[in-house]
Amino acid sequence: MLLSAEGLTFTSHADPGPHVVLERVSLGLEAGEIVDVRGPSGSGKTTLLRALARLLPDAVGTLTLAGRPAAEYAPAEWRSRVTLLPQTAAMRPGTVRENLLLPWDLKVRSAGHPPPDGALEQALHDVGLAEIALGRDASRLSVGQAARVALLRAVLTRPDVLLLDEPDANLDDESSAQVSAMTGRFAAAGGAILRVRHQRGDVAAARTLRLVGGHLTEVGP
Amino acid sequence: MNELVGGVIEIGWPQLLLSTGFVVVVGVLSLRLSLGLERDLAIATIRTFLQLVALGLVLRWVFGIDSPWLVLAILVFMMAAAAQTIVKRAPDAPPGILGSSMATMLLTGFTVTFAVTGLIVQVEPWYRAQYVIPIAGMVLGNSMNGIALALERTFADLDARAGEVLALTALGATPWEAAGDSVRVAIRAGLIPTINAMAAAGIVFIPGMMTGQVLAGADPLAAAYYQVVVMLMVSAATAFGSVLAVLLSFRKRFTADGVYIEKGYRTQL
Repeated sequence: MLLSAEGLTFTSHADPGPHVVLERVSLGLEAGEIVDVRGPSGSGKTTLLRALARLLPDAVGTLTLAGRPAAEYAPAEWRSRVTLLPQTAAMRPGTVRENLLLPWDLKVRSAGHPPPDGALEQALHDVGLAEIALGRDASRLSVGQAARVALLRAVLTRPDVLLLDEPDANLDDESSAQVSAMTGRFAAAGGAILRVRHQRGDVAAARTLRLVGGHLTEVGP
Repeated sequence: MNELVGGVIEIGWPQLLLSTGFVVVVGVLSLRLSLGLERDLAIATIRTFLQLVALGLVLRWVFGIDSPWLVLAILVFMMAAAAQTIVKRAPDAPPGILGSSMATMLLTGFTVTFAVTGLIVQVEPWYRAQYVIPIAGMVLGNSMNGIALALERTFADLDARAGEVLALTALGATPWEAAGDSVRVAIRAGLIPTINAMAAAGIVFIPGMMTGQVLAGADPLAAAYYQVVVMLMVSAATAFGSVLAVLLSFRKRFTADGVYIEKGYRTQL
């Protein structure tokens, strides 16, 4: 098991008063596996991803990655290996290149080597963004383009697990297919993916989980 | 507004009453135009009178006693008041910021004030109230504005950039790496008014302290030298203070695990 969660519990204190969003949720992800999470709006899918990325204050439960408990990883190291891609793509002021290389500015990857321009261009090409120059100002990307650049930014760091929050919410069918192909290659290379999805189904997912009333159940492929 | 200390022309009660006449005219104007400012204006006028006269009396008393402990106590009181004001002016700042504001005011206030009175003006004895208290007042008043601006900007900017902060944290950024852009923007915002004031001094306006000294009969060139020292040290105090206050407090908006506590989440706590 690459990533496993046991007894994840989180109580929200937002309106309309305290309610349990995650109640002793357990799940496991194998290397190379793509798993979809579905469920009604507000059922806590995003909350679940945040908890797995250790980005949810006050969440309780046991997380392990590659057999080691979460406590053995510094929070930043955990997040660099179990990487959440938030639903809203956030570009930093600067060029597309600067945004794609941003992860290597962080201390957690100070020993790593950023990919060369050729690799960045190839990656852009692979998600249908061949026409985007690396020197393009990131603030001039459309919502759908920014979503794919943000996805690439996460994928290029080669985390063990990618947590994708509606990665194709703002994409047309063609771009969505390219994103699916990219996530498929990520999984084929040994990465695990947990995806929150509302709409489209595609054949890539090995399993589908359903989150309702704080409980996670497997509903088949 | 005239702060005459033993000046060439004395101001007495008749002159004070006469100046009130102008405010009364403004009050009438406010009534006629339905500005609704009469009440605020009246209260502000009375406060100006009472506070400044009280200040004059207190300073006269303090100058007379000439005790280092009294001077230090007054400085600490001024710094506590400044720290309180900073907290009030930065409503987006997290709770627990009073301590770091106070630490900042104490550190920059004492360092800069005594650097000026001790090293530059070379006051004898070191605690002479006539120099130490007005200079501390200028240091604290100006740096307080800059610090409040920088703190307010830090947390407002972090909230505006919450999505980016989350994305960065999710990629493994530390709180400093995630908040760095906001911190830099905020410190810059806190310093710009001071830098602008330095650039415009003497051309667009005559700074307050120089005005006061000239009105009190001092040689304009001597007053100018004093003003240069005051402006430079106020800028330094604002810069040190803003940097210190922001660095001491931005981390309070993150959990121990380095997660940014978003606005919506905070209201749940």
